[in-house]
Amino acid sequence: MKLGNLIRAGVLCTLLMSIFLGIVSSTPAQAQGQAEDQAELRIATSYKLMTLDPHFANLNENTSLLSHIYERLVYQDEKLELKPGLATSWRPLSDTRWEFKLRENVRFHDGSEFTADDVGYTIERIRDVLKPPSGGFRSYVSGIKAISAPDPLTVVIQTNAPVPNLPLFFSSIFVMNRPSEGYQTTEDLNTGRSSIGTGPYRFESWSSGERLRLARNDSYWGDKSAWPTVSFRVVENPAARVAALSTGEVDVADAIPARDVASLKERGPRIANIGAARVNFVQFDVSRDTLPGVTDKSGKPIANPFKNPLVRRALAMATDRGVLVDKILAGYGTAAAQVFPNGLPGTSGNLTAGPPNYDEARSLLARAGFPDGFNLVLAGPAGRYPGDAESLQAIAQSWARIGVNAQPSAAPFSVFNSKRAAGEYAVWYGGTSGEAVDVILHALVASPDPERGTGALNFGKYQNAAFDAMLAKAEGIKEGPERNQALAEATELAMADQPIIPLYHFHHIVGFGPRIGSYVMHPRGWTTAMQTLPAGE
Amino acid sequence: MGMISVVTGRFLQAFLLLIAMSLIGFIGIHSVGNPVFNIVNIETATPEDIRRATVALGLDQPIWRQYLVFLDNVVSGNFGTSYIYHLPAFELVIAKLPATLELASVAMLIAAPFGTGLGLIAGRRRGTLLDRTVLRASVSALSIPSFWLAMMLILVGAILTGWFPSGGRGSTASFLGQDWSFLTANGLWHLVLPASALAIPNIALIARLSRSGTIEVENLDHTRFCRAKGLSPRRILLRHTLPNISVPIVTIIGLQFGGMLAFAVVVESIFSWPGVGKLLIDSIQLLDRPVVMATLTFIAVAFVALNALVDLFHAVLDPRVRLSSQR
Amino acid sequence: MKARILSVLKKRPHGPVMTLSKLLLTTYILLAVAAPVIAPQNPYDPLQIYGWEASSPPGTTGSGGYLYLLGTDGLGRDIASTILYGLRISLVVSIISSAAAALIGLTAGVSAAWFGKWVDVAIMRLVDLQLSLPTILIALIAIVTLGPGVDRIILALIIAQWATYARIARSVALSEANKPYMDAARLMRLPTSRIIFRHLLPNSIAPALTLIPIEVGHAVALEATLSFLGLGVPIDKPSLGSAVANGFQYLLTGQYWISLFPGLALFGLIASINFVGEDVRRSLDPRSKSL
Repeated sequence: MKLGNLIRAGVLCTLLMSIFLGIVSSTPAQAQGQAEDQAELRIATSYKLMTLDPHFANLNENTSLLSHIYERLVYQDEKLELKPGLATSWRPLSDTRWEFKLRENVRFHDGSEFTADDVGYTIERIRDVLKPPSGGFRSYVSGIKAISAPDPLTVVIQTNAPVPNLPLFFSSIFVMNRPSEGYQTTEDLNTGRSSIGTGPYRFESWSSGERLRLARNDSYWGDKSAWPTVSFRVVENPAARVAALSTGEVDVADAIPARDVASLKERGPRIANIGAARVNFVQFDVSRDTLPGVTDKSGKPIANPFKNPLVRRALAMATDRGVLVDKILAGYGTAAAQVFPNGLPGTSGNLTAGPPNYDEARSLLARAGFPDGFNLVLAGPAGRYPGDAESLQAIAQSWARIGVNAQPSAAPFSVFNSKRAAGEYAVWYGGTSGEAVDVILHALVASPDPERGTGALNFGKYQNAAFDAMLAKAEGIKEGPERNQALAEATELAMADQPIIPLYHFHHIVGFGPRIGSYVMHPRGWTTAMQTLPAGE
Repeated sequence: MGMISVVTGRFLQAFLLLIAMSLIGFIGIHSVGNPVFNIVNIETATPEDIRRATVALGLDQPIWRQYLVFLDNVVSGNFGTSYIYHLPAFELVIAKLPATLELASVAMLIAAPFGTGLGLIAGRRRGTLLDRTVLRASVSALSIPSFWLAMMLILVGAILTGWFPSGGRGSTASFLGQDWSFLTANGLWHLVLPASALAIPNIALIARLSRSGTIEVENLDHTRFCRAKGLSPRRILLRHTLPNISVPIVTIIGLQFGGMLAFAVVVESIFSWPGVGKLLIDSIQLLDRPVVMATLTFIAVAFVALNALVDLFHAVLDPRVRLSSQR
Repeated sequence: MKARILSVLKKRPHGPVMTLSKLLLTTYILLAVAAPVIAPQNPYDPLQIYGWEASSPPGTTGSGGYLYLLGTDGLGRDIASTILYGLRISLVVSIISSAAAALIGLTAGVSAAWFGKWVDVAIMRLVDLQLSLPTILIALIAIVTLGPGVDRIILALIIAQWATYARIARSVALSEANKPYMDAARLMRLPTSRIIFRHLLPNSIAPALTLIPIEVGHAVALEATLSFLGLGVPIDKPSLGSAVANGFQYLLTGQYWISLFPGLALFGLIASINFVGEDVRRSLDPRSKSL
């Protein structure tokens, strides 16, 4: 360490101290109470808006709140069916070309007109400009070869290979306004000076991880919102959200823990809930020959038992989903037998989750060569999904009934993922969401293939050629009942083999106070002012 | 000369502390896991996205090189950008500081007069029932784990009676360019429970200290002399005893103020008080290394600075105490 | 020395509080030792837990045919049994870590005093460094670095606590080393190790010994705090601290028993250790007798 650095460190220390003592912060005093604005909608949200760049990370934490400012070409309704957004219609011109007709008379918050050029800018920014770590949206547009605009309200998109899901992908992409020159950087956007979209609200102010203020966009093309201003307060602690709602500090609070619903209702607020378009599951490593933590009852390592479908079926059969749903989720969940709640497009009516059958599970296990069961470590994240760490222990209780000794091991989400990526786990609890059934099957069950982009979440490396073929065929079919039927059949085939044990679809639960008339739930789980309708008149 | 060497000694000490702590914290968080999984959406990102994000954050480099880069940045006053919030880490810490500062200050404003008062009274009436009660209550209060005390305050003060909010900071008002809770009625209301949670152990500590100080002073000749002179006990207590025991009390207040910064970690987490302590725990959970490093550095510097201030105060107030470089 | 300690133990406890806390502490230790025998349920054995009986209020009779005296937690564990087993973890962790910290701290402190020069500087720098930060922060950093697990917690607590012992031992040993009998030992050319371990260490132990009970109390609280923050013991083997933490999320819903009873047990444990520790310290330290 050179002396110069030493001195500089000393200077730094002094600086830190002086900041601590409040010497540096001496701007003029301006104490002012916040005027209580009765017309303001106040929402306590669990989604901590981390950046104002709508293309930075594909996380609900960001997209939920930014959806007030920015809009998408295509929307999904409560049944996850596509409906027009900034695009009024779309059709395939050929296998690799799509045409989107854009909405007329849409203006950005700065008054400029929305045209095909802005769509082009958005795609280019995501595909070519944004540097890592911002890359969550890239996979949606990486297959796009060329964008052309025959007229200002028509976009023709050419893809490298057929992408039948392209309209669905555009239901995730926020359209930005092309600036006079160049591309906006994340840093520019985080200053808040250029958060300009077409959405029903305009940006007012933001403090990272704490607050977002919005004001109504009075020249919005669609139905105008009832709320002149909206303020989001980020409250990560569920108990604190519940408290804020029950004392009337906020009008709406999202992600209410199921166990707090009853006591919350007693204190006045009402509840809306819907089964989430997502699934939580147990996933097996079916590729390696031996697995960490998997031993026989005397503690000696054994060959990977999960390669045997009988073992996977036995464990699925011995899983008491009733306890998970009724006790851990306090009834605000649906037992799962496939990737989406029954009834959504692409799900199979033949797959339902029944009560555990320990006797049959035990005999399956005996047929697989494990009459006495075996030991394993069941890993999972803590605090990521409703009921995650508790589920590990409840599943261990169920499996113990057929002689399988599961030692639950919970870790913070990123630690869990680091360890899973390092191959330290044999069987684990996970969760995923997606725009549609095929998106989840594509990532979770299809054989891993970086070229085709399949199996990105198939960490257990399950391979089933018959399923892959069925899924590929289904994905080639145009949106509609035929496609949904094909997806349902592919799901049935895969679930008979049990590469994962679907556990539950937890419910999104939102509470709202007396100033709110109703709250319209959406299975994707965003929390928005648009879904909030005022009480009375 | 002596003064200078003391000051340089102090700086060297602080400097060593920071180096050691940063090294341990750095390696610790590195060994725990890869923060990239909190940044990209694992449910939609491809392995390629994850790899690229890791490279972009410099997390693919060997740990020693990452550390050197970190040191280099810190020397130019830059703790890096938060992985999660995409803001300069140090700015984040400073933004959370008013919340912690006002919490600790209010707690100390409660604890100091209460504790001193109880201690004085108990010391005066040494051996009485009152004295024994104060003594035992203080041992008990010091035995309550701070998190459980906080929870019980929530149970009694918020859930059973509904008197106070169970968490959060309430509305704030702007002063000196920062947001403060204590300037609004609603904010003060939110302060009551968390401040009590921090104050109660300190009341106990200060009470014990001032009790033993009082007993010691009361036995001194000058107090006996005062009594013999016929001064009223009250006057003796306030004009003679109190000033005599003030040095250790102020010392402990200074030291405990630093300790509060650390204990705020627990109390802030329970009351969802958006301060530095909660930021530290959240950032540890999210593996947000720049913020963890900035927060740890800040707490350490604040703690060392407070200790130095207390020593300085000692030297000014009590001529018998000489600053010595041998600590 | 031995006689002194014995006399302390034999001495009549003064006042009902002292009797009570000694009784309480003895009960705690007995309960912890006998936990597997007297607990109605083994809360670590998933086969004995009935998930359907989660969050039962106190006084419910479970499928196991026994009474859930203090109710069950969110996963169906009997709270009373969880407390008994958690008590074991809390006590084992704190006693082992305090003993090890005392041993390491004493050795380091006495070595620093005996060898002087660079050994002294090195050790005492480390001690100063550590004591310049709050203990809880040290423990926090240590456990984050070490990762979760009972063994790691013990290690983290040793790291957090050894410095306190080292500082005291050094100052005592310094004054001890200047006493005439030490000069005699040196003149007799006794081996260094013999001087340290047979003479210096035993004579420096007393003040550090008085520290142990109080530090055990600290260790219990520290372990509980780390576990509460989710950085400690494994989720399926709750200590008293994590048992309280498990109940925190149920507190708002009125299922108070999940956190109240383990918390009361924890409070009682720390309080009784502290009261007894105070008593031991007061009896061994002549100066504090006057207070």
